Amino acid sequence: MKFNVTDVKPLIEDEFVGEAAKRALQYIQTKRSAGMPVAGIYCGYAPMEVIRAVGAVPAILCAFANKTIAAAEAVLPANLCPLIKSSYGFIITDTCPFFGISDAVVAETTCDGKKKMFELISHYKPMFVMDLPQLPDEKEALANWATMITKLQGFLEKTFEKSATPEGIEAEIKATNIKNRLMNRVFDYATKKPSLLKWSETYELAFLAQVATTEDLQPIFQEVFKTLEEREAKGVYYGTASAPRVLVTGCPVGGDSTKVYKIIEEAGGVVVAMDSCTGMKPFMTEIEENTGNPIAAVAARYLQLPCSCMTPNTRRLDELDKTIARFQPDVVIEVVLHACHSYNIEAYKIMNHAKNKHNLPYLKIETDYSDGDVEQIRTRVEALFDSL
Amino acid sequence: MTTTLGLDIGSRTIKLVVWKSGATVMTRKALTSYDPIAVCRELLHDAPTGPLVATGYGRHLVKEYLRCETISEIKAFAVGARAVFPSCRTILDIGGQDTKAISLSEDGRIDKFHMNDKCAAGTGRFLEIMATALGLSLGDFMTEALAAETSHPINSMCTVFAESEVISTIARGIARPAIALGIHHAIAARAVSLLERVSITEDILFAGGVALNRCMHKQIENKLDRKVHAPADPQIVGALGCALLAAKNV
Repeated sequence: MKFNVTDVKPLIEDEFVGEAAKRALQYIQTKRSAGMPVAGIYCGYAPMEVIRAVGAVPAILCAFANKTIAAAEAVLPANLCPLIKSSYGFIITDTCPFFGISDAVVAETTCDGKKKMFELISHYKPMFVMDLPQLPDEKEALANWATMITKLQGFLEKTFEKSATPEGIEAEIKATNIKNRLMNRVFDYATKKPSLLKWSETYELAFLAQVATTEDLQPIFQEVFKTLEEREAKGVYYGTASAPRVLVTGCPVGGDSTKVYKIIEEAGGVVVAMDSCTGMKPFMTEIEENTGNPIAAVAARYLQLPCSCMTPNTRRLDELDKTIARFQPDVVIEVVLHACHSYNIEAYKIMNHAKNKHNLPYLKIETDYSDGDVEQIRTRVEALFDSL
Repeated sequence: MTTTLGLDIGSRTIKLVVWKSGATVMTRKALTSYDPIAVCRELLHDAPTGPLVATGYGRHLVKEYLRCETISEIKAFAVGARAVFPSCRTILDIGGQDTKAISLSEDGRIDKFHMNDKCAAGTGRFLEIMATALGLSLGDFMTEALAAETSHPINSMCTVFAESEVISTIARGIARPAIALGIHHAIAARAVSLLERVSITEDILFAGGVALNRCMHKQIENKLDRKVHAPADPQIVGALGCALLAAKNV
């Protein structure tokens, strides 16, 4: 799959094309050199507005490479999610540069594997584990989560010897909303038929946008929109008009598991919507502004994230409805990481929802970070497209 | 009329079908080995020539070499199944390392499909390894299971664990035919659960190398409580589908 013309200018034109992590690393290193502390994060539930209001820069810690799994399996069970094994392997082999420059780590009680893995790495860096309510609709959930966010603020303030103000958090809420609106303007180009974006462009932009401030992203957004407007004016698009449009949902997809995106493309599909924490999910909703209680506003927004660790996770189906209406996919492909029980079980609901409510073919791919199953996945994806 | 060819490069066996004037004029099979291109060359070297479509795990490997079109096994089986069994609505294919269940609409289009997880549990390879663990050839493994009076349940579905289970069952003095039948039961149950995922509509076709196993065929019929049709040569259904698609393209 490629653009309909040659010599297409990359969405972010710099020396890091195809190297999302290196681009983010350079950004964080620059901030650190300027005296900002670094808060390592593992999950989309980490409240970025509070981290930024304390004056820190967030760093997404390494979790997506097969190479560190063998080292991790010396301690962790083999039958565990590759994301957790990879994360742990990076720490014990001291090969995650983001962890290396982190001054503290923010963690959440999302799934059992992560929760227990955090215990094993808690002595490396100052760490704060947030108790994430998993019944988000219970009336106490919001207050409990807000309390946790306040505690995190205290931890960061003490560890970094800095302080955040309610006004500062409110300003960060507004900045996030501006960023998310701009990101959605970019995503709009993937809703076009055919899409004007290649999946890796969305992936790379999302990677950077999670760590960089809205202010620092402004010049990049300007260039991005200029590039996209040029593409539109010149009739440049990605893939073909008849290529199946694919919505990928499920576990985070990054690094070595992007093999699934590549296989989808090689089989003739175009990934238009990336419904995961490494894709479009972190940018899909906004935070309520001017509530007078910014911590509660932040808490409310993060609690709405439709991760499968929540029960019941009805918001995921609601969000899926919106994503399907917006991106008009021809198929839904769910990526479940091996031993991720919550996404794996929830997949049954997603399958029924896709098939029965939206009449869309659905395929679940259960995989890890190795390349041993590439041909098996290819057979399934090609068969899915054959059946259209 | 044009001669067309279908090639199914499976994980264990490579199948060739030559189609001419509305009929199969040649079928050939060979073990896949470590060098599938050499095996394909051998199968094709004095065969009639014509447009060729390939499927199976090795299809991408031969795509450049033979300059042919490739299709997924699902499509190949959907087309081939209707050719050998025109009223077919449900296909069960148990091959060397894959098990597939496909449901077809009334006009033969693919409605739903499901495949086993990426491991070899419940596939032909699984049967081979279990037969070896029992010290039997594949043929004798089936014959012993057919003649068994009792069945000893085998619970593990992971090929490696199931082999250990079989070995420890032998060590406990359980009769070999009972273990052989237990293994057939376990695979049949797995195949039926895969079929249930795609909704079973008659008529049902059983294809792939494992369909040669009469005990498996019988167990699947028993568990479904329905008649299951196995074609005379269940291994060539995918290759036949390819040859037919090649003919359609001409």
